[in-house]
Amino acid sequence: METQGEIKATSAESFYPRDEDIEKWMANAFDMAKDALENGEVPVGCLMVYNDEVVGRGRNEVNETKNATRHAEMVALDQLLDRCRHSNLDVRSVCERTALYVTVEPCIMCAAALRLLNIPVVVYGCRNERFGGCGSVLDVSSADLPQTGNTFKCVSGHRAQEAVEMLKTFYKQENPNAPKPKTRKD
Amino acid sequence: MEPQMKRWKGSEFDTDSWVAYPVLSDEQSQDVELVEAFAAPIVNKKETSRLVRELNGLYPLDGLQHIKRVRACKEKDSPHPLEVLVCLVSDAPDRKAVSIDSLLPSDGVGRDGLGEPFVVKVPARPPLTRPQFELASKQWPTSFHEDKQVTVALRGELFSPPQKAAMHMYMMSAIAAARAGKEMGMEAVGAVVVNPATQTIIAVGHDCRGDHPLHHAVTVCVDLVARSQGGGCYSFDRYPACRFTSPTSDTFQNVPDAEGSSQPYICTGYDLYVTREPCVMCAMALVHSRIGRVFYGTASADGALGTKFKIHSQKDLNHRFEVYKGVLSKQCEGLNKLDNHIL
Repeated sequence: METQGEIKATSAESFYPRDEDIEKWMANAFDMAKDALENGEVPVGCLMVYNDEVVGRGRNEVNETKNATRHAEMVALDQLLDRCRHSNLDVRSVCERTALYVTVEPCIMCAAALRLLNIPVVVYGCRNERFGGCGSVLDVSSADLPQTGNTFKCVSGHRAQEAVEMLKTFYKQENPNAPKPKTRKD
Repeated sequence: MEPQMKRWKGSEFDTDSWVAYPVLSDEQSQDVELVEAFAAPIVNKKETSRLVRELNGLYPLDGLQHIKRVRACKEKDSPHPLEVLVCLVSDAPDRKAVSIDSLLPSDGVGRDGLGEPFVVKVPARPPLTRPQFELASKQWPTSFHEDKQVTVALRGELFSPPQKAAMHMYMMSAIAAARAGKEMGMEAVGAVVVNPATQTIIAVGHDCRGDHPLHHAVTVCVDLVARSQGGGCYSFDRYPACRFTSPTSDTFQNVPDAEGSSQPYICTGYDLYVTREPCVMCAMALVHSRIGRVFYGTASADGALGTKFKIHSQKDLNHRFEVYKGVLSKQCEGLNKLDNHIL
């Protein structure tokens, strides 16, 4: 990993969230997760912060879109991309100085997406034992994948217990993802 | 290559030009791991059943139920007809000065009929595939519960000629989409989602990362499938080669009972054809979407369905699926070359 880091060393090296940033933005991400839970979605919420400004926010919207890839991070990344497009900003230079704050460890898919966009730092609450891509199931965040953007750093554990409790609350309910037993007539 | 030649190679009937091989899990494809054990000649054949019974009591081969305790000697001029496994080297009381007396306590196993021990290597795990079984058996007789489908698939003979013709057609659609995407400045990657129960194409997509860095052919198809079910969150209208068909009417007419009575649910039961091996993001998108099977043309450097990871057989994930590679491999390889020329 070291050799890769040297080649890809960018201004992002020195970029790291402070404790007060973590506290502030994670509180916001938790609000997003609560909103997901209230809407029958897996309670995960996230924020993408660039220059102390929110450039993307998202919560899981898989059921709403019938697209199983609509995780909070993917929704937030879309907002970031839209914003860059509208403000005529270079995606790469924004992403390289953007931190992601998310209540649960990004899944394997989202971790790869974050790499593809060169997000350097991810702050997350609890581990994701089912799908985690930052070490729990696979470590995509630091794996040797030269064609898949840059590795990223993780800061974990902030309000982890709370994030876990929200997931437990969700999974205790009936699975709203399950196919409906009867066909609806259009 | 001449254009005419190209056309012929890509024709619907040229299904002999490629073979689909399964991408098996690491457990199924790894080398046979061996452990050392002490074996001893059985000089008196009549003692065999007693020796086996007593050795099973003294040195049960825990976790090695696939190993046969006794083997016949292959050489015709062998002084003894059979050899028996006494114990694993790691279970021996004294690994340095080994004799039959040191291995067998005087009150445990009667030594009648046994010769002096020697070291052999035995397979540490039960073989999962025929190639593993054949390698394992060279070391020591091993039992094998064969999965016939895996054996046939490893020979490249799982799919019948009509099935191959259909697979060929679907991959041709993916290749056509890849070319259409390429003409719009995208990477030459295409994908097709098929409902194998009705043999209908649900979605066709190509790479769109020139406009959105995460719109790879697979993620485009995943959203087109969502669109076909009344969901989705993007419009791909500006890419004429990206399209979807709602699976409504014919699904219900052709498939009776259980399958037909439920609404389509993300990619459950669907097959994906994609010209090259999906990346980590796309492979995991397929897990989340509960894809049925994946067929791809050629491997990718950071591919996650065989090359860097085998996400389709990853332990701890709650959905697994079969993956086959090599469908129209030459034509798909040709697409990769289109991209490499640009780079």
